[in-house]
Amino acid sequence: MKVTLVSRSGREVVRGGIELSDSATVKDLQEAIHAKTKKYYPSRQRLTLPTKAGVSGKPVILSPKSKVSDYCEKGNSDNLTVVFKDLGPQVLYSTLFFFEYLGPLVIYPLFYYLPLYKYFGYDDTNRTIHPVQTYAMYYWCLHYSKRILETFFIHRFSHATSPLSNVFRNCLYYWTFGAYIAYYVNHPLYTPVSETQWKIGFAFGLLCQVSNLYCHIILRNLRSPSGYGGYQIPKGFLFNIVTCANYTTEIYQWLGFNIATQTVAGYVFLVVATAIMTNWAMGKHRRLRKLFDGKDGRPKYPRRWVILPPFF
Amino acid sequence: MASFFSTVKRIYLAIYNWAVFTGWIQVLIFAIKALNESGPAAVYDAVEKPLQLAQTAAILEIIHGLIGLVRSPVSATLPQIGSRLFVTWGILHSFPETRTHILVSSLVISWSLTEIIRYSFFGMKEALGFTPSWLLWLRYSTFLLLYPTGITSEVGLIYIALPYIKASEKFCFRMPNKWNFSFDYYFASLAVLGIYVPGSPHMYTYMLGQRKKALSKLKAA
Repeated sequence: MKVTLVSRSGREVVRGGIELSDSATVKDLQEAIHAKTKKYYPSRQRLTLPTKAGVSGKPVILSPKSKVSDYCEKGNSDNLTVVFKDLGPQVLYSTLFFFEYLGPLVIYPLFYYLPLYKYFGYDDTNRTIHPVQTYAMYYWCLHYSKRILETFFIHRFSHATSPLSNVFRNCLYYWTFGAYIAYYVNHPLYTPVSETQWKIGFAFGLLCQVSNLYCHIILRNLRSPSGYGGYQIPKGFLFNIVTCANYTTEIYQWLGFNIATQTVAGYVFLVVATAIMTNWAMGKHRRLRKLFDGKDGRPKYPRRWVILPPFF
Repeated sequence: MASFFSTVKRIYLAIYNWAVFTGWIQVLIFAIKALNESGPAAVYDAVEKPLQLAQTAAILEIIHGLIGLVRSPVSATLPQIGSRLFVTWGILHSFPETRTHILVSSLVISWSLTEIIRYSFFGMKEALGFTPSWLLWLRYSTFLLLYPTGITSEVGLIYIALPYIKASEKFCFRMPNKWNFSFDYYFASLAVLGIYVPGSPHMYTYMLGQRKKALSKLKAA
């Protein structure tokens, strides 16, 4: 069969099209495109069916596992037109996560160990370090080490790659907030809260971090190792009552940190992170509700909190 | 019902645009008068009141964008109005040492020319339903010169104000305090200067894109 590959403006991406066997998969198509174009490795290709005039909604994305012939129209199994979009240079998700988490892991201890505050105009020489500041540094580093380890050993990503530009955007977010919070918690003029309060804060935070790890393990087991992602109804542990229990535990974990360290910077970060995760959670919840609508023998998605019981 | 609201919207926007237009005409006239009679150092005192009024009224435009009254994206209006308000209130009003600088004249003239054209453009669209093609051309062409002169004046004035900002404790909030919070106006001003670096090309290319769209529609008409 012959596949005609066009860009969204109608230009032919591969002159003369691509010849494939009738049983070829989309993955074979992607490799053929890569062979002919060199620059466009498979994770950079977004292949869709042309949208029909007057039909609304998102275009159909070709799935690598499927056969190319599955997308052909009835009666026309030797020809298919596929629309190509270049997603730009891609990095592995694990690469993206590693760099965005490495920043906070390295930057925070710099403010703890090095006499940086004299560059901000403060006398750094006779500062006393409060116990809570030390524990905060341990807690913070534990958190980001955990995230890096999870990236390499626990998470199963639905997409293998992410655009390169996200590296700059995400690193800017994590590294800037990391420095912003580290500056205040390790400040020579830092005012600690009562011992009871920071003990409660860190204990609660640690409990949430452990729960968060368990949530990640549950999510991992929802996906088979060779699969390309796909969705299941999450269940077990907190997922029985909250769709995005992993985000919930993450948010409450930061709340614990902030109760213990009490900085405006930390709370600002909490608010922004919560807003971002809530946005993701609403999308995920909506997707799961749409997928599991109870029709055609599919299970119906149960009524649950989206992300933050008891509020939402 | 819908057409009642759209008429009310039109009347409101027409009044808003023409009102702020008159404010900026005042600014320009007072500025030129002061330049003629006394020289650049007198410009600020002559324009202060209408400038503050007309510039602060622009906050309404962010609200208009947020509630969908106008089509302009908040991502384009917010940085522009933000920088204007910062210079008007955070620099000129708060640090009088900057008021006699010659950049104030270039600032005021750049701003008022741009705004006079912009507000009359929108004012005509709302009131009359169309704009004459020469006004459209002005709106999408004068920025080519006035954005650089305006931005240079803004950046220049912020830069000049820096030593005065550093010396005064104005707007600063210091540690230690219960919430471990601080705000340093000097660093914040440096950060604002930093934002101009990506912000100015972003605004300029946005307007270039708008220009292309608007002028090609003109040709097609």
